[in-house]
Parts: sequence; C-alpha cells; structure tokens
Amino acid sequence: MEKHMAVCPYCGTGCKLNLLVEGGKVVGAEPLNGVTNEGELCLKGYFGYDFINDTKILTPRLRNPMLRRSRDAAFEAVSWDEAIQYAAKRLGEIKAKYGPDSIMTTGSSRGTGNETNYVMQKFTRAVLGTNNVDNCARVCHGPSVAGLQVTLGNGAMSNSIPEIEHTECVLVFGYNVADSHPVIAKRIIKAKERGAKIIVCDPRKIETARLADLWLPLNNGSNMALVNAFANVLINEGLYNKEYVANHTEGFDEYKKIVDKYTPEYAAAITGLPAEDIREAMRIYAAAPSATILWGMGVTQWGQGVDVVKGLSGLALLTGNLGRPNVGVGPVRGQNNVQGSCDMGVLPTEFPGYQKVTDPEIREKFAKAWGVPSLPGEIGYRLTDVPHLAETGKLKAMYVMGEDPAQTEPDLALVRKGFEAMEFVIVQDIFMTKTAMFADLILPATSWGEHEGVFSAADRSFQRFTKAVDAKGDVKHDWEIISLLATAMGYPMHYDNTKEIWDELRELCPIFYGATYEKMEGLGAVPWPCRDLDSAGSKYLYEGNVFQRPGGKGLLFATEWRPPRDQLTEEFPLILCTVREVGHYSCRSMTGNCAALQTLADEPGYVTINPKDAKALGIRDQELVWVSSRRGRVISRASVTDRTNKGAVYMTYQWWIGACNELTIHAVDPIAKTPEYKYAAVRVEAIADQVWAENHVQQEYAKLKGGLSNAVTGATKKAPAFA
Amino acid sequence: MNRFVTANPSKCIGCRTCEVACALAHSEGAGVEGLAPESFKPRIRMVKTADVSTAVMCHHCEDAPCVNACPNNAIVYRQHSVQVEQERCLGCKNCVLACPFGVMDVVTVPAVRQFAGLTLSMGVKAQAHKCDLCIERGGAGPACVSVCPTNALTLMDREAMDETLRRRRERAALEAAEVAA
Repeated sequence: MEKHMAVCPYCGTGCKLNLLVEGGKVVGAEPLNGVTNEGELCLKGYFGYDFINDTKILTPRLRNPMLRRSRDAAFEAVSWDEAIQYAAKRLGEIKAKYGPDSIMTTGSSRGTGNETNYVMQKFTRAVLGTNNVDNCARVCHGPSVAGLQVTLGNGAMSNSIPEIEHTECVLVFGYNVADSHPVIAKRIIKAKERGAKIIVCDPRKIETARLADLWLPLNNGSNMALVNAFANVLINEGLYNKEYVANHTEGFDEYKKIVDKYTPEYAAAITGLPAEDIREAMRIYAAAPSATILWGMGVTQWGQGVDVVKGLSGLALLTGNLGRPNVGVGPVRGQNNVQGSCDMGVLPTEFPGYQKVTDPEIREKFAKAWGVPSLPGEIGYRLTDVPHLAETGKLKAMYVMGEDPAQTEPDLALVRKGFEAMEFVIVQDIFMTKTAMFADLILPATSWGEHEGVFSAADRSFQRFTKAVDAKGDVKHDWEIISLLATAMGYPMHYDNTKEIWDELRELCPIFYGATYEKMEGLGAVPWPCRDLDSAGSKYLYEGNVFQRPGGKGLLFATEWRPPRDQLTEEFPLILCTVREVGHYSCRSMTGNCAALQTLADEPGYVTINPKDAKALGIRDQELVWVSSRRGRVISRASVTDRTNKGAVYMTYQWWIGACNELTIHAVDPIAKTPEYKYAAVRVEAIADQVWAENHVQQEYAKLKGGLSNAVTGATKKAPAFA
Repeated sequence: MNRFVTANPSKCIGCRTCEVACALAHSEGAGVEGLAPESFKPRIRMVKTADVSTAVMCHHCEDAPCVNACPNNAIVYRQHSVQVEQERCLGCKNCVLACPFGVMDVVTVPAVRQFAGLTLSMGVKAQAHKCDLCIERGGAGPACVSVCPTNALTLMDREAMDETLRRRRERAALEAAEVAA
C-alpha cells in the first residue's frame, strides 16, 4: 500500500493526512501529526476521499472537455485543442466587442491549490486585461478581511490554531466550531480543560454553547448592538487596558461617543439578552490574562458584517489581546483554501500578497514581471454582483473555476437568470454540477489527490499536499488549462510544475518570499508573513503591538446597529438562517460523492425548528415540509429540536433539492458585498400527504442526478465535431 | 471487570465519525463503497438531546441482562467483555428487550440454509448486534476510540476505572475540605 501525504480538502483547519493507495486507487485516509491537527481527523478527513474514484453517487467526474454549440443543444465531447481554441476565440471576440471588463473569472478555494489561483489572476490581469476576478471569500469571510485590514492592517487570523488551546478565554461569536472545524473544537475543549473560560454568542444552542461558561443567545440580527454594548461595558466599567489603548490605538474618543449609547440596558432591547449577562461576558473576557475572539459566518454573512468585524477587533484592542501568543482575533476561514484564494490575489482589489491594484508602483512591478506594458488599475467586479451585472449587460462572459455558484450564491433564481443572460460561460471543474449545466464550454480538471500544490490553512499556514493517484480521463491540471488558454490568446504561458509557479509568485510577494517548498516538506507549515529565507514564518501577528496600518496603531471603530434587510410579515413570519453540517461540505459536489458521508445524510436535508413553532404549524419531527420565501420554495425535512430558538429556522446549504439558497436574499454588505445569508423571511408549511412528498423528493432527486449524469455520458457517446 | 467504551458528553460534538468507523470496522474488509443507508448499522450511536450530545454503546455489563435473557447461551463473557457467539443466535430478540441502554439489536444477513434435506438460498441468519470492542481488530482496539476527533471516547478497563475513581475521590476530599471550612 502506498501512502501519499496530503492536506484535507474540506475545511480550513488544514489537517495533514496520508491518502492510502492500492492498485492506483485511493482506498483510505489516515491522520498525520500536522501542526494544526496533531493526529486527528473528522469524518470528512477519514471518509471523504472516495469522490476521487468517480463513485457517481451524486454526479459523475468530468472526463473530457465538452462544449455545446447552442444553449438548447446537448454537450459534445471535444478535444483539448478544439476546446482551447474555441474558448480563446469566444473570449477574444467578447473582449474586442465589449471590452475586457465584460469578462469575469473566479479563483477556487477548494482542491486546486494556491498555484492555480496565482495563474488564474495572472491570466485575468495580463491576458484578459481586467481585475474582474473573485472567489468565494466574497460570500464568506470577505467582511473579516475588509474589516480587519482597516482596523489592524491584516485581514487574517492574528494567532495560530494551536494557540487556541492555550488561551485563557475564548469568546465565540457567530461561529459553530463543532460543525465547521471539528478538530478546532477539540482545541477549545482542551482549552476548557486547562481552565479557560468559554463565552458563546449564538442564537441557538450550538455544541460549543453546551460547554460554555456563559451562553448569550442573542436575537438573530443584533450583532452590532451586542458588540457595541460589549465595548460600552469595557469602557464604562473601567475594564479596558488604558495604557494599551493610549499607546497602541487611535480613534478612542469617537468610538466612545458612539458606544456610549449602547448600554447593556439599551442593547438588551435589541439583543433580547439580560443586561447583566452582557456585563458578565465582558467581565470574564477582560479578566482573562489572555483572550481570543473567534468568529465565523454568524458575523460575516450579514449586511453589517464589516462593521461588526471592526467592532470585534475593537474589543481585542481595548483589552490588549493582540501582538502576543494565545490571544487575538480569529476569523476562522471556512474552506480548505479560501485563505489561499485571498493570499493569491484572486480578488478584484488585490494582487497576490495583498498588494493593491490601485497602487501604480505595484502594477508596474507585476507588469514588468509578467512582460506586459501595463495592468488594469480599476477595482474589478465582485462575485455577488455577477447576476445583476449580467442582467444589465455589463458582464458578457464568465470563466467559473472550481466553484458552484448555482448552489452557493444567494437567491438562486437570480443566479440562474444571470448565467442565462451571459453570452459565454466556461465552467472548469472536476464534477458535473448544477453550475456546469449553464456552461457553453466545460473544461475537466484534475482533482485533489491527482495533483500537488499548496493550501493556506485558516491561520495563514502554508502547507503542501502531494499527488496520490493519476487522474483518469482526458483531464488536465487547472493551471495547465489556464496556461494553454493564455497561450492561445496570444500570451505564451507555460509551467513545468507547481513549484515553478510557487517560486515565481514568491519573488513578487514580499510577505511570502521565505515560504519555500523545502520548508513545507513533510509536516512543515509556514505561516505568512515569512519574508526571509531563514524565517520560519509568523505564528502570530502584530508582535510589539505594531499594526500594519499607517501610523502603526490599531483603529477603534464603532457604528450604529442596523436591522437586517428582509422583512418579517404575517406571510413570512420566521427567520431563515443558513448554516453548516459537519458531515458534508459546502456545495456537496465532493462529499455527495462519498459513500460514507452520503450514508449519514442525504436529500432533502433538514430544516431545524423549535418545538413551539412546530406545534403551532402542525409539523412533526422528520416530516417533509415546504419552506418558502419571497424568492422561492423548497421542500425540506423538519427536525424539531429545542436547540433551535423560537422564531427562527435553520437549513444547511449543502442540499440540492432542499436548496436553501432558493430562499435567501441578495442583500449585501455595502463594503464587502457579502450576502445576508443569515436572515431571510420564510414560511414553513406542513405537507398533509407525506407519501406524495417522499415520492416527490425522490423523483426530483432522480431527475436532477439523471440530468447531470446524462450530460456527461451523452457527450462522450457523440463523435467529435471535426476529425 | 469487563472493558467498555465510555463517551464524555462534554467533549462530544455529535459528528458521528465514530459511527462510520464502527460500521467500517465490521464490514469484513469492504471499504466505504459497501456503506449504504439501508444497511448502515453501527454498534455505537450518537444521540443529541436538547442539552446533551454523546455516544451510547454497550456497557459490557458484569451481570448482563442480555446474557441472562438469551435462551440459547449465545451471549457469553469472553476476554473481559460480553461477546455474541453468532452461530447460536436465533434472533429471538430477548436480548434486545432486555438491554436497558437500547444498544442491542438483532440484524439479519442473507444466508444459505439447510432444512429437511433442502438447500434454501433465500434464508437469513440472525445476529445479535452490539459492540464487540473490535476484538477482531487485533491490537488496534476499538475503531471508534481511535477516530474520535475530540478524544471523547475512552476504552475503560479496570486500571482506567480505578484511576478515574481515585481522581474523583481526591476531588471530593478537596471539596469537602472547602465546605467544612
């Protein structure tokens, strides 16, 4: 049996594991003693590998390039030459006719790795001539990056994952650790064993709330009020570190003016929390010699995400919980390489290494390195703007790589309209997904397990993963495909391997320069910034309390609370909040093709509902129900549980039949453009004929799976377009 | 003392990694491909109530109700555990009714049966289905314990039990001292 070292392709914990290979097939996974996981894996790490083997449980692996000559034609299998030439021709035409900004590309935060993302943004900027490149951080921790870049200067986790075990107080805000990062949940449990205090702010009783010393079940949508009240308590009870604030922060007076209104009593009305609990939380937090704030989508997927992130960093600044070990601010990045996508600059605002596109010197540096006369200096489009831009004719083409927006963006009906409005859509993926069904051209790539590269874990650690098996079918590595396309469009691009790409980008990114492949051998992890060849990287940031913003001081920021956008009415009286489940991941194209994970959970997925709400609606546990919003209606299975707060229902975004994003609202944060997935007004209705409902789910599921499967098998049977 | 696996509810995050590991450990070498919802029967089960997430499994009782209830002596004490001799199992379900923890079940597997000189290919063999401490895994020990990402599961033997009791007695003594003062 062969063993090939890899990094798990699911969440941002970055667990190191071995893929076990027999006869050219991946047959298992075992944990390794990586820096972040220390020998642990969750069920996805242990049993989430068989998708590589094309199990066809949910959807088939893509095996050949495919194109369709009109939107109502079937896909045809074509050669790589034809596919690349076709793409180059169509993109070239659209660029000439409508301008470079009429084209949008995406990076991928999943199995492809950092090197591919570097190549994609290079292609977008140097070949297409636009900054219209983005990735799914847009719908995730975009607000964290935007907020922390303003207040502290660096948008990433300030301290490392292993340090979480040693902090003396963990303030968990809008973050379901157990379901998002099980192995990080272990760190919190160990911290508690060591005596750490745990405070959890979440409307429902998540796993971490069960072991919390204090659980604040705030009302859905009241984040800013609570964070302002926290600041109010720290200041007005004299709990803040006056010396630290005086020496290392700015903006205190303005900050105090705004939060003065948010007394715990004032915030109690908005948050639904007892004022005394708000005070108690900050007394605990401020009393701890070291304290860490961890947050997730419960903070960022709101119309006021950026503001709340800034507010949370203010609490750390007020108490001096930065710039040393075992403290800090932790936007725990969801996907295995969403941190990497941002690091590699598949962003409309920045080149790799967080160098701004609006900076002429930076543009000149990259232009020179890439051998082009100039690079675009205008900030590009965001992923969440795509449907609107497509509908209004500003976007004509999209090159989607390793993403499934037809499953994961809000208001899916709007997303579909957007795709239909565009003239040319390329989808580069490993699976036939719902998004791929909108493509004019499908380019099949190698999967995780079939190539090597580097991921950035949630705590900025670069780690290498290696190839375990050869890919089957006529597929290519993502970075190879992009290089071929670039060459066909008149910009010769060629790399022999990922290391060549990595070394090129290191030369252009001072904060990554010292992170060599050699340092990442085996279990090596290099947390950036790593500026020098003899540096091991930076486990924690802001050492010496030097913040990476002009003047070197942290910014204290607060603003008024704003209510969520969607309106609750008699017709739509419940709040829908979209969440994760531990046994599946993201759009589920990978875990849905894993036998063990599909055995545990399958369509239509669950909508969790409080027993009082269920009773009033005549809904019984495990029954199928309709969930509707102003934007759509889906069927789901009721899970009646006391862990869900009254007035709200929760669905996970993994399900294709029970697709909660048919219901969510496209209301975005004005700065980060991240959608308010956490608040949609819905109605839940019991279904009288459960037999009909069960059959309906199975039929719809079979139809969907059949459609995706036929698109692939139908194509391979056809003869190529020309000899 | 019979060994058994215990779950610590303050560490359990309800992820069900243990369930999958258990099913695979008993799949006779079949990999994940053999798993399917209809046949998924782990011997450890994760339970979530309003306040508790934990795993429940066989206690390998010292005076086991299942052992006492079996009319065919199919359940025995062996290797400091309670094991089922499947050849003797009738599938009568007395043991299922007897177990207060709900961790015994009866499953059937297809089998060729001989009856009155006839070979029946559509027969079934009943099996009393419960945690066997993965004794077939050799030295590797219980699969569930080895995979739990939060180390919520422990194999409790006499030594580990004694250590736990000793620590609790010490804690009790210290707490008593505080109250007395």
